[in-house]
Amino acid sequence: MDPTPARYVIRIKGHLGATVLSTFPALASQLRGAETVLTGLLDRSALYGVLAEVEALGLDLLEVRQLEPQPRAQDSADGR
Amino acid sequence: MVRATLRLIDRGGLLGALDRAAAKKVTIISAPAGSGKTSLLRSWAAHAGQRHRLAVVQVQRDQRDAQRFWLALLGAVRHAAGTADATEPPAATPEFNQRGMVDRVLTELGGQCGPVVLVIDDLHELNSSEALAQLTRLLTNLPLDAHAILATRRDLPLRLHQLRLAGELNEIRAADLCFTGAETRELLAASGVTLSEAGLARLQQRTEGWAAGLRLAAISLAGHPDPERFVAEFSGSERTVAEYLMAEMLERQPRDVQHLLLRTALLDRVNGELADLLTGSPGSERILLDLEDANAFVVSLDPERTWFRYHHLFGDLLRLELRQTLPEQVPGLHLLAAEWFVRHGQVADAVRHTQAAGDWPAAARLLADHSFSLTLDGQAQTVQALVRAFPPGTERSELAVVRAIGDYVQGRLDEAAAHLTVAEAQAETAPPDRQRRRRVAIAALKLSLARRRGSLGSVLEQVEFLSSPVTGQSDEDIALDSDLRALALLNLGTIEAWSLGLPDAERHLREGAELARKIGRPYLEVGCLAQLGFASKIRPLATTQARCREAITLAESHGWGSEWVIAPALIALAGAVIWNGDLSQGERWLQRAAQALQAGAGPDTQLLVHVATGMLQAGRGRLREALEEFSAAERLGPQLVGPHALASQVTGWRLATQARLGVPGQARAALTALDAERASSGEIGNATAAIALAEGDPAAALRALQGILDGTRPVIGYFTVIETHLLAGRAHRELGDQRAANQATERALALAEPDRPVLPFLMTCSRELLAALPRHQTAHAALLTDVLDIMRGAPSAVGDHPSSPPAEELSGGELRVLRYLPTNLSRSEIATELSVSPNTVSTQIRSIYAKLQVRDRSAAVQRARELRLLSAGRTD
Repeated sequence: MDPTPARYVIRIKGHLGATVLSTFPALASQLRGAETVLTGLLDRSALYGVLAEVEALGLDLLEVRQLEPQPRAQDSADGR
Repeated sequence: MVRATLRLIDRGGLLGALDRAAAKKVTIISAPAGSGKTSLLRSWAAHAGQRHRLAVVQVQRDQRDAQRFWLALLGAVRHAAGTADATEPPAATPEFNQRGMVDRVLTELGGQCGPVVLVIDDLHELNSSEALAQLTRLLTNLPLDAHAILATRRDLPLRLHQLRLAGELNEIRAADLCFTGAETRELLAASGVTLSEAGLARLQQRTEGWAAGLRLAAISLAGHPDPERFVAEFSGSERTVAEYLMAEMLERQPRDVQHLLLRTALLDRVNGELADLLTGSPGSERILLDLEDANAFVVSLDPERTWFRYHHLFGDLLRLELRQTLPEQVPGLHLLAAEWFVRHGQVADAVRHTQAAGDWPAAARLLADHSFSLTLDGQAQTVQALVRAFPPGTERSELAVVRAIGDYVQGRLDEAAAHLTVAEAQAETAPPDRQRRRRVAIAALKLSLARRRGSLGSVLEQVEFLSSPVTGQSDEDIALDSDLRALALLNLGTIEAWSLGLPDAERHLREGAELARKIGRPYLEVGCLAQLGFASKIRPLATTQARCREAITLAESHGWGSEWVIAPALIALAGAVIWNGDLSQGERWLQRAAQALQAGAGPDTQLLVHVATGMLQAGRGRLREALEEFSAAERLGPQLVGPHALASQVTGWRLATQARLGVPGQARAALTALDAERASSGEIGNATAAIALAEGDPAAALRALQGILDGTRPVIGYFTVIETHLLAGRAHRELGDQRAANQATERALALAEPDRPVLPFLMTCSRELLAALPRHQTAHAALLTDVLDIMRGAPSAVGDHPSSPPAEELSGGELRVLRYLPTNLSRSEIATELSVSPNTVSTQIRSIYAKLQVRDRSAAVQRARELRLLSAGRTD
C-alpha cells in the first residue's frame, strides 16, 4: 500500500450545496449532469475520513476511483 | 422507552417483520443514515413493550470506552428485570475485565423469567474491537429466552455464522426499510397533506423511498399552500435530497426555532437549560418538546423528556449550516457549552468543546485536572483520545501527567515514569496556582507506580502532601483532591503493609476506605478494604477473617467478587483459614484468587499466592509441592524493590521443608549462604533447628532455638514462636527428656489457644509430640484433640454451608462443654476443668444432644464439626 497521497475521484449522486461541500475542504467539486464529482489529493486516512462523512450525511456514493499518477499536473478532473 | 406522540405512521408491515425477526435469536438492522432504523425500533418498542421486556441501549457517539457500553447494557438488563433497585448500580472500575462483565450480563439475562429483548441502537458508534468480539460471544451464548436486535449504519465484523447456519439470525436491510408507495401515502395523510397520484409518484421516485427524505418532505408539505408545486420543484432540482429538504424545512420554522436549532447543533445532546444558555433566551424546553411531538428529528433520551438529541443526519447538516452561516459565533458557543458541562461534572464533553473552540491551554488544564477522576470512572480510552486531539507539541507540561496516567493504565510503567519526570521538571515553571495541583497529581501517580512495582523507598517523600489539610478550596478542588487522596491512601497503605509498617498501613487504609465511601468511589473502597484484610496479618486470625469477608462481601455486592481488586483479600483469607487448619476451605479461596488474577498479577501478589499455596501443601504433608511453592516465592523476592515483610518467613520455610524432605545438606549449604541480617531472624533460627533435627543433632537444634526463646532474635509474629516451642519439644524428646518435651508442647498450645493457629503444628511434624502429652497434664485438651484430629485427616470443616443449622442455638455454657467433648475426659473431669458441678455438665450435655439432634458423644462431635462449632476462632 503506497502511503503517499494519491488523486481520487469521488462521484456522488445529486448536486451538493455549499453547506455540505464545506465538510470536504480538501476536495474540488464539479457538477456534472445530475452528479457531483469531487477530486483531490488524499492519503489513506484522509480518504476514509471523506468516506465516513459521505456515510454520515447519507449521501449516495456512486464511485471512488484512484487516478494514475500523472507526471504533469492536469486541469481536467478525470485524469484521462 | 419513551412514548412520545410522534406523527409517525405505524409501518405495520415492518413492525410485523420485526416481530417475526425478534422470534429468532439475533436480528441485525443494517441500513445507512436516515433509513428509519431508530424510529422503527421506537415504534416497535412501544408495541412490543407490552409483550416482551426490553433492555435498550443507544451507543454514544464515538464510544471508545467499551466499559461504558457494557455498564449501560448491564444497567438496561437490570432495569428490564426490575432488579435495578435491589442491587448497587454497576460502577465503573479503572481496570476493566471485559470477559467478566459479559459473564455478568449473561448471568443477569439467564436469571430472568420470561423473554427479554436486548435492543442496541447505533452499534457502529462502538469504537472498540474487543467490545465487538465480546458482543459476538454474548450473542452466540444468549440464554433461552433472550433475544437481541441490533441497529447499525454499516455491516460490522460480528462473526455470527454459527447463528446464521442454525437459522437464528435475521437481517433487515435498507431495501426492507424503504417506504412503499402505500406507506408514503399514509405518511402524507397523517400529516394532513393531499397530493395527486402523479405528485405522490414523483415524490416517491425522487426520494427513492428514503425515510429521512420523506419525513422532511412531509414537514414542509404540511400546511404548504401549493403542495403539487413543491413536489414539482423538488423533483426538478438536482440538489441532494437531504440538503434541499433540510433547507426548505428550516426556512419554514419560526425564527426562534431556527435560532435554537442552529445554536444547539454542535451538541451531541441538549436539554432545556443548556439550550437556553446557548440561545440566550428562555423557553427552549418547550420548543424541543414541540419539535419532538411534531416530527421525528428531535428525540428525547429519557422517560421524563428532559434530554434530547437530534437525529444524526439532521444534526450533522445543522452543524454544517451553522458553520456556514454563523462562523464567528461557533467558538463562543463551544465555550458556553464547555462551561455548562464543567459545572455539571461532564468533563469529557467539556474538554471536547473547549478543544473545538480552539482554546488549547484551557482544554489542557481541564483535562489534566480531571484525568485521574476520568480514569477512575473507567474513561481511560476517552482521555487518551482527547490527549491525541491536541496539536503536536502543545501543552507538553500540562499533558505530561495525563500521558503518564495513560501509560500507567496500559502497564507501560517505564514510559509512565519518564512522563512523570518531564511533568516534575516543568512543574517548577508552572504558574503558582497550578503548581499545587500539579504536585499533588504527580505525587499520587508516583505512589501508584511505587505500589505497582513494589518499591518502598520513594514512598515516604510522597506522604507529606497527604498530611496537608484540604481546606480553603472550592468544592471542585475538594472533589478532585479527594479522588487523589483516596487513591494515594490506598497505594500508600498497600506499600506500608508490605514493608511491615503495619500500624501505619492499617490507619491509612482505613482512612482511605472511609474517604472512598464518602466520595462514592466504591472501587477504591473495596481496594482499601481488601488490602486492609491483607494488612491484618498481625491481628488475631478471627479479625483478619472478618475483615477479609467484609471486603469480599462488599466487592460481591458490586459484582467484583472475582476481580483483580479483591485478590489481596481472597489470598489473605485463604492464608488465615489455612493458619487455622481449615485446609480445604483455604484451597477454595486460593482457587478463587487464581481466577481473579487471571488477567495478570504483579510480583507481590504472585509471591503471596505462592506462600499461601506452600502453606497449604505443607499442611497436607505434600513436601515436594510445598518446596516448589516456597522456592518460587523466594525467587520473586528480588523483583520487589526493597525488602519485604515475608522474606525471612519464606526462606525459613523453604529451608525447613528441604530438611524435612531428607536433604538437610542442601539446606545447610543454603543457610550458610545467607547474609548476616537475614540469618539473624527467628524464622531462620527455626529453620536451622529443623535442619539440625534432620541431621540427627537435637542439641544443636536447641542451641539454635535459644535466641528465640529468650527473645533476643526478632520474629515476625508469635506463630514463629509456636514453631520454636514445638521444635524444642521434638529436640527434648529425642534427647530423652520427656518432661521438657511436654513443657514445650504445653507452651506451644498455650500460645495457640486464643487464636488457634493450627498450621505450625502441622508444619513441624509434631504429631508424636502431641500424642505423647497426657491429657491431664494439659490445660488445652480441646485444642490438642482438634489438632490431632486435623492431623489424622478428619475433616475439620465440611463445606462452607452447614448441612442444616441446629434447631436451637447453643448457649455459651453449652459451647464451652461442647469443646471438651472430643477429648476423652469424663463428665466429672470436664466439670473440674470448667469449675462447675458435674450435674451442670450433665444437664448441658443432654441439652447439647437435643439441640444437635444426636444420641451420643461421638455423633455430637461429628455434628459439631459439620456445623463448625469447634474450629471457628474463639470469640469468648
